[in-house]
Amino acid sequence: MSDAIRFTLNGEETLYNGNPADRLLDVLRETYKLTGVKCGCKEGECGACSVLMDGELINSCMVALGRCEGSNIVTIEGFSKTEHFQVIDKAYAAVSAVQCGYCIPGMVLATEALLVKTPHPTEEEIRTGLSGNLCRCTGYNAIVKAVQIAAKEGDGLW
Amino acid sequence: MVNGYMPLSLKEALELRAAHELVPYGGGTDLMIEGEKDVCYLFVNKIAEMKKIVDDGQYLRIGASCTFTEVLDSPLVPQLMKEAVSRIAAPAIRNAGTMAGNIGNGSAKADSVLIEYVAGAKLRLVSVRGERVVPIEAFYKGRKELDLAKDELIVEILLPRTGLENYFYQKVGARNALAISRLSFAGVLHLEDGVIRDIAVAFGAVANTVLRFRDIEHMLIGKTIAEAKKERAAFIAAYDAAINPTRGRVSAEYRKAVCLNLLRAFLDDKGI
Repeated sequence: MSDAIRFTLNGEETLYNGNPADRLLDVLRETYKLTGVKCGCKEGECGACSVLMDGELINSCMVALGRCEGSNIVTIEGFSKTEHFQVIDKAYAAVSAVQCGYCIPGMVLATEALLVKTPHPTEEEIRTGLSGNLCRCTGYNAIVKAVQIAAKEGDGLW
Repeated sequence: MVNGYMPLSLKEALELRAAHELVPYGGGTDLMIEGEKDVCYLFVNKIAEMKKIVDDGQYLRIGASCTFTEVLDSPLVPQLMKEAVSRIAAPAIRNAGTMAGNIGNGSAKADSVLIEYVAGAKLRLVSVRGERVVPIEAFYKGRKELDLAKDELIVEILLPRTGLENYFYQKVGARNALAISRLSFAGVLHLEDGVIRDIAVAFGAVANTVLRFRDIEHMLIGKTIAEAKKERAAFIAAYDAAINPTRGRVSAEYRKAVCLNLLRAFLDDKGI
């Protein structure tokens, strides 16, 4: 095999000619300048680098580019153009669920992944759904509240 | 793809594995911590033969590349395995990490491997030369030492279909999510007409491999609960003598104490 790695990035067909062992997180930030994808720990502990890969929440720090062949990747930049985002964004703002903001791109994508799977989650399901996304500012309660509001306001969207 | 392969069939994967120096890549959640650049990965995520979960009447055959999320979503997988897998990390890791990756990483802390030990699971290993089925206990030869030839792939995990229903499971970690096991314990008991037909006990994150001592288990097999109660002290003492914890992030003394506490809790839970 000597082809480039082919995948869809925020809706656009993309060819990557670099090393298949390159880290998706680094390539998103450095090659494609998608800096909404944050780097927190590079070991799958914090969730700041979360993206959606074929609709599932994934830590982009834990993915080698070769694994992306044929897949559909959505970062916060792509997701922010969707109707789902509008609902989640409004809900987070309504209860001031954002402080420093570093974890929020990952948190918002974790919210999306959760609501796609479970449109009307219980509090426990919300906490489990967001359990891989660490926030050092809010203490989580406002974020949980925001997800509850998004589920309610976006009823029927997910 | 230069320096990386993503085969779509097992046959192609095995030919590549035999012809090149490749590192099998399941979910990448262990490999990417190192994030080595000078490596050639064999991405095994899209091989249909390695993505199935099927019941063949004798075994539940779990495809090596099934992710933890897929295992949790399967109606066929026993509750004990689901409970252990649900405690691995967090959703994003469970969406990526695979069953064979958990095994192939070679750690005694691997949460799904503990259950494979207590279940007496086997691994189906395949290469261009043929295939073999190896019990999980034989597959682990030591810390990071596996009975896997350079041209072989773990293709399926064969889990006995019954025997895991009556279980006791505990994972001791420093937090609820994203916790690496400080210690893990699984015990299963199979009773028939009040007689212990089978008992299995395994300890994870204690030594270089998951620990299971079949000779000690035999002390209680064939006994009634009342008879087993009389053997309880000797049974616990046998584990006390057999378990030799390695020092790690937590002390050997702590590990030994928690092992025996969990063993007692298992016996209490089952009325022994």
